Amino acid sequence: MSKIYRNPDVMWREEDESREQANAALEKGENAEDIGTSLLFSDGMMVTLNVLGTEIWKMCDGREVDEIVAELLTQFDVEADVLKNDVAGFLEELAEKGFIHYEE
Amino acid sequence: MRSDPTLKAPLTINWAINNNCNFLCRHCYSRSDTTEELSGEVLCAAMKRVAATGVLSVNFGGGEPLLRRDLLAIASCAAGCGMRVSMNSNGYLIDGEKAVALKNAGFSKVGISIDSHEALVHDRFRGVAGSHERAVNALGRLREAGIKTSISTVICTFNHEQIDNLIEFALANKVSQLNFHNFKCSGLGLANKDELDLTPVQWQEFYRKALRAKEQVKELDISLDDPIIASLGLKSGSSLVKGSVCGKLSLNIKSNGDITPCGFIPVVIGNIIRDDLKEIWDNSPVLERLRHKTPTGKCASCSDYGECLGGCSARALAMTGDFNSPDPHCWIP
Repeated sequence: MSKIYRNPDVMWREEDESREQANAALEKGENAEDIGTSLLFSDGMMVTLNVLGTEIWKMCDGREVDEIVAELLTQFDVEADVLKNDVAGFLEELAEKGFIHYEE
Repeated sequence: MRSDPTLKAPLTINWAINNNCNFLCRHCYSRSDTTEELSGEVLCAAMKRVAATGVLSVNFGGGEPLLRRDLLAIASCAAGCGMRVSMNSNGYLIDGEKAVALKNAGFSKVGISIDSHEALVHDRFRGVAGSHERAVNALGRLREAGIKTSISTVICTFNHEQIDNLIEFALANKVSQLNFHNFKCSGLGLANKDELDLTPVQWQEFYRKALRAKEQVKELDISLDDPIIASLGLKSGSSLVKGSVCGKLSLNIKSNGDITPCGFIPVVIGNIIRDDLKEIWDNSPVLERLRHKTPTGKCASCSDYGECLGGCSARALAMTGDFNSPDPHCWIP
């Protein structure tokens, strides 16, 4: 299975206020999916990620998809199959933009 | 899926570290700026504070940054703070040795200003014989040293019909990006506006062709940084924000530390030495107004306003005294 790496050319950071807002929503059991908590920035292209996306992005450090999913299952209360599909789709989107790459 | 987060700080700072220049460009926005320069030590301390607020990158400009003898130390300091370091240069002083030194100092990208594929045209506009040849040579040396390169071309009356030639030239010089900069009416650009600036209809024609080229030429990233192109249908995710990016994603710092929304808006909103960047970013009334512009004149009834937000705020301010005014380049009646 392929290892996933962030493109080192991509600049990124978490946004503290938005993160706090998302955490507060999650603690209240509310949906924080629409709250962007980090942004990725490269050559004029910017992408904002929600809490889940941010956590996935941070784990693109040479891990494989299954490792990322296993780690996320310890943090988020979601069905494994649903999460696996979501993660795969999200990574595909990042790869299309050139923000991550895969290595065998 | 995601709303835009509230940005805690600019993503990037355009930082004029000096004002002196070895060129005599006829559109120069900073030639009339005689402000003092900060010492390398003071600059470095300021950059550490800037990085601590979350700024991801600095782009040095001026003036010609390479005329600062301590440029390499300044760049090393910025890179050491974790920021991505780039600069805009005329390339005149970059040989192989200098390119390697720039790489070692932490530069990841250098943009070279080239306004024509024809040497004589470029040299005449930049005011220095042989400058085109040296700029082209700089691109090669930088690439060999492992620094990403781009060409920055200010679009004006003598090059706006040369899109294909400029693209061919950029491809031949293996740059990663070709930036078509819109003409700003600042400094000498304002003084020479009648000679150099295009009419709104000419801008429309230029952008139609440039957008078509951008779609067709896949081997080169062609950057068009003008918000008024929103009315031509460029509404994809490639646009970072709607309207001008000034004060929304980036800020400008002048050689004396004065902070302005962008290099072409001469409104000082603080100073990086005495003021807190975060405080300015969060609470500047000028930035607030730039981020929440009010449509006036023809913008008030324009269906494209939601996408372009009145176009370039700097140009509107320069020509009318109000950055809420419609962009003078806008071709929509």
